Amino acid sequence: MNDADLHLRNSTYGLFVELGRAPTTEEVAITMGWTVVDVAAGWRRLHDTHALVLQEGVDEIRMANPFSAVPTAYRVNAAGRWWFANCAWDAFGILAALGVHGRIESSCPDCLDPILIEVKNEVPDQGELVFHCLVPARSWWDEIAFT
Amino acid sequence: MNLFRSEEHVGRWLGGRTPGQTITVSMLSELAHAWWGDRVSSEWRPRNREQNQAILDRLGLTDEFWQLP
Repeated sequence: MNDADLHLRNSTYGLFVELGRAPTTEEVAITMGWTVVDVAAGWRRLHDTHALVLQEGVDEIRMANPFSAVPTAYRVNAAGRWWFANCAWDAFGILAALGVHGRIESSCPDCLDPILIEVKNEVPDQGELVFHCLVPARSWWDEIAFT
Repeated sequence: MNLFRSEEHVGRWLGGRTPGQTITVSMLSELAHAWWGDRVSSEWRPRNREQNQAILDRLGLTDEFWQLP
C-alpha cells in the first residue's frame, strides 16, 4: 500500500468513526481535497488489498472492518452510538478499535434467544457463550461476506 | 463467525455440516483487541501475513484451521 492509499484508508476510517456511518466518496473527497474520481479509484485499490470492502458494482463501502456499513445481526453500543459489526469477532473489534467499554447485542443462531454482552476493560460479562468460526483462516477472504 | 449459547447450540445449528472451531467468548475478546485495536488509529499501517499469524499463535490458535493463506 503506497502512502497515498494509506492516507486515503486512514482518512476513510477516521470519517467513519466521526460520522458513525460509512462516508461517501464525496465526503472523503472534501475532507482530503481529492476528486471523487480519485477517491473511488483509491477505494477500489483498497478493496483489492482487503483494506476495506466495497458494495458490488458501486463506489460505496460495505465493510470497513470491523465496522459494517449495512445492518447485520451484531449491534454494538459504544462511544454514544450504535454500530453494526460484520460478525461476532468484529463486534468485539469495534470496542477494541474505539478503545471503549460497550454493549453487544445479537441472538443465538440456533435458538434465536437474545445475546446481550456488556464488555468492560476487554472482559465480557457472559463467560458461558462460545464463538464458532465455520470457515478456516485460509479461506476467510474467499467470500468475506459469508465468512 | 457467530456467538452461541453453548457448544450444544453450535452442534444443533450445524445440523451435520462440518464444524469449524469454537473458542470461548473471553478468548474472542482478547483476540479482537489484539487484531482490531489499532484499526482507527491515524497511524495505522497494514500488517503482513506473519504479523497476523503471530497474533493467532500468541492466543494458542496454532493448528491448521487457523493458518492464514
